[in-house]
Amino acid sequence: MFLLALLLPVLLGIYLFVSSENETYTEETINSYLELGADVFDFTREEHKNTLLTLTSTMTRDWGFRNAFGTGDPFTIIDAADNILLRSLGAAEMMLISSMDGEVVIDTKTQGFERLDGEWLELMNQAANSDNGLGDAIITIDDIPYQITVIPLFLPTPVAWVFGGFPLDNSFASTVKQSIVSDVSIVRFNTHPQGPANGTEISVISSTLLPADQNALVEQLERSGMTSQETQRITLTTGEYGTLMRPVYGEQGDALQIVAVIQKSYNENLENLENFRRVLIQFYSIVIAISLVLVILLAQSITKPILNIVTRVKRIEAGDFGQELKAKGSDEIVELASSINNMASGLAEKEKVRDLLGKVVSREIAEELLSKTIELGGEEKIVTVLFADIKGFTSLCENTAPEEVLTLLNNYLSTITQVIEDNHGVVDKYTGDSVMALFGAPISRGHDVENAMITALAIQEAMRELNEKNIEEGLVEIAAGVGVHTGLVVAGNLGSQNRLNYTVIGDSVNLSARLEGLTRKYNVDNIVSESCRDAVANFVFRELDLVRVAGKSEPVRIFEVIGPADSVSLEKKRELAVFAEALQFYRTKHWDDAIALFSLLAASVPEAARTSSLYYTYIDRISYLRERDLPEDWDAVFVFDRK
Amino acid sequence: MERIRMINKLKMHGFVRPLILALALCSYGPLTAAANLNVFVQNSDIGQGLEDAVVEVLLPVDLQSSFMSAIQTTVDQQNKEFVDAVTVIPQGSHVSFPNSDNILHHVYSFSEAKVFELPLYGSGELSDYRQLFDIPGVVELGCNIHDWMLGYIYVAQTAFVAKTDQEGRASISDIPDGVYTVRVWHPQSPEDGGVIEQQVEFTGEETAIVRLAIEPIRSSRLRRAPNTSRTRYR
Repeated sequence: MFLLALLLPVLLGIYLFVSSENETYTEETINSYLELGADVFDFTREEHKNTLLTLTSTMTRDWGFRNAFGTGDPFTIIDAADNILLRSLGAAEMMLISSMDGEVVIDTKTQGFERLDGEWLELMNQAANSDNGLGDAIITIDDIPYQITVIPLFLPTPVAWVFGGFPLDNSFASTVKQSIVSDVSIVRFNTHPQGPANGTEISVISSTLLPADQNALVEQLERSGMTSQETQRITLTTGEYGTLMRPVYGEQGDALQIVAVIQKSYNENLENLENFRRVLIQFYSIVIAISLVLVILLAQSITKPILNIVTRVKRIEAGDFGQELKAKGSDEIVELASSINNMASGLAEKEKVRDLLGKVVSREIAEELLSKTIELGGEEKIVTVLFADIKGFTSLCENTAPEEVLTLLNNYLSTITQVIEDNHGVVDKYTGDSVMALFGAPISRGHDVENAMITALAIQEAMRELNEKNIEEGLVEIAAGVGVHTGLVVAGNLGSQNRLNYTVIGDSVNLSARLEGLTRKYNVDNIVSESCRDAVANFVFRELDLVRVAGKSEPVRIFEVIGPADSVSLEKKRELAVFAEALQFYRTKHWDDAIALFSLLAASVPEAARTSSLYYTYIDRISYLRERDLPEDWDAVFVFDRK
Repeated sequence: MERIRMINKLKMHGFVRPLILALALCSYGPLTAAANLNVFVQNSDIGQGLEDAVVEVLLPVDLQSSFMSAIQTTVDQQNKEFVDAVTVIPQGSHVSFPNSDNILHHVYSFSEAKVFELPLYGSGELSDYRQLFDIPGVVELGCNIHDWMLGYIYVAQTAFVAKTDQEGRASISDIPDGVYTVRVWHPQSPEDGGVIEQQVEFTGEETAIVRLAIEPIRSSRLRRAPNTSRTRYR
């Protein structure tokens, strides 16, 4: 394409140059044609004039004519004159004979004057005053300009003037045209000083042009009024004509001016140009066709491999590293293709690592690992940590076939992981049946606690669906416990230089794990810390207890997240209110009142699950505590010293 | 008759208007008695005598008959020229036109004084080439074959006629007493009809002397013929 873009202006340039040269040449040719034509016109007129002189001179010396003239009989003389005109074969068209002082003897044109006057008299005097007795002039007869010559008639001394003439008519114009191959018109300019506005009446006397063109010529001349002797362009019906004028009679400004208009069509010469253009265009077509073939061949050898490479690179960009390039062509292309192949295999390897990493660690962590220089160390940040595991997994393992356990576990972990990731959590690690997930690390997406709460609730929902499926497939039901806490942790890469692990560590992590463990004690699905409850506003919580967990001296208030505020039923809220009252009785050691309320609450639990409900947990605890001597300032903190 | 009338129109020389001699009529002798006339015509162009000028003493008609003495002469054609170029004869004379060239000539005249034609004839071929010139005037001779051949026959009223020699001199003798018009004609005279006329008194034995100068028009230059009006055709 580039080659064509380069070639076309060059071809266009050549074309324009040649065209312009050709037009200049045409212009020059026409000009020289016209100059020559005008000269030939003058020459032809001169020759014709000389012929006329020769003719009249010779013919009038003929004895017959002399004798006829000698008779003095005008009828005989006019017949003799007509005879001469006939013998001239058209070279002479009129004859007039006058006496030496201008009395008209005969006039073949019978113009009606008895004595020569005006131009005729001037012509006679011109001849009389010349050395050889010859004279010539243009004289208009019957509206047609005649070339008139005059010689004396010798008998043997001069006794009369013999005028001969031929008209500058169509026949004369045609004769000239035969020599000069240009059109000839004889045009009259009649200027009337008191006449119409333009004052000049233009008429074609004779012409080789077609009538329509003659009219066009007159119109053009009327418009331009030109009689200049420069070549000019005049548009006739068949196109533009180079036009040159030659005065025949009179001068510009005279009352009567007759000019010869020599015209040559530009079209005839332009036809040659047209032919040339056609040949040029044919030539160009061939050149362009050859160029196209060359371009296509070039495309085959260069562009196509490059396009292949582009396709390949795009595919690599989209993640497809397969299909090695087989490049042909120049060394550079081959080199480029091979580099791209190497790059692709490098990228493929990296992608494989990334893929694997994504499977081993969560996608976010993998990104975090790949995006930064991996180094040991971490940063302190607030992270919400969620733990989930299967309640009673150990006993489950004992009673179930290992393959089944693995299936159960994988289904369970896949489900949990899906729920976590759906809610923007990041799985930090799997430990047996336990999943540790982070909200807010490695990057926070905002609403970390809220996301964790939703995840905790969603895990239970997912477990119900999983159990339905498990029952269908004949697998055992499983239940999951979830613990959530939000707090300051250290996040970063942990491990050795050769092997490390992105994770979070700290008390918050431990507390979160403890809370998850407590779900078994309280027979609830989840336990979240007070900091979680404080961090979100639109969830309904149930305060479960005040506990002191292993490894922590400060008592911790623990809660169960019930659900989003707008989805919790009135009945459930009433139950929660009763539970809160019961808890208050418990904390103030009003054991009976507390047991009464807990029992009331437990009554709503199905029979099978009643003894393993949260309420029975308290009923059992109260039974245990009322046997003990509790200090007066009992703080109602329940201590779990087992991990 | 018509033909003659036409020729009148065509004539070159009217002889009608007496002309006051503008140029020098240098001197002439006593008016009482003059029987002779000597004329000297000068070519004013070159200051030498002008040949072939014709001098005629015009007598009143009643005197003319006493002085007519017709002659026989010839105008030869030699080397395609008329010889002499100018021939003077009294009226009633005969002129023969022999052809001394070895080619043919076709002598003609359309002059008023004599219209005639001798169609092509060669040396010795034609015996009947004698022509009578009985009308005074200038007869212009042409040859239809040789356009440049031009000769003149001056037909005088009486025998008192002569032409100048190479020195431009001419003389006429035995002129009766009286005052007569002396006419001088030359083919190249610029005057109308080519004539200059002067009244001269002739008495007894005296010799009248007339001197005049003529500036001949160049032969190539055309001279307009006077009053060549003729029947017009419209």
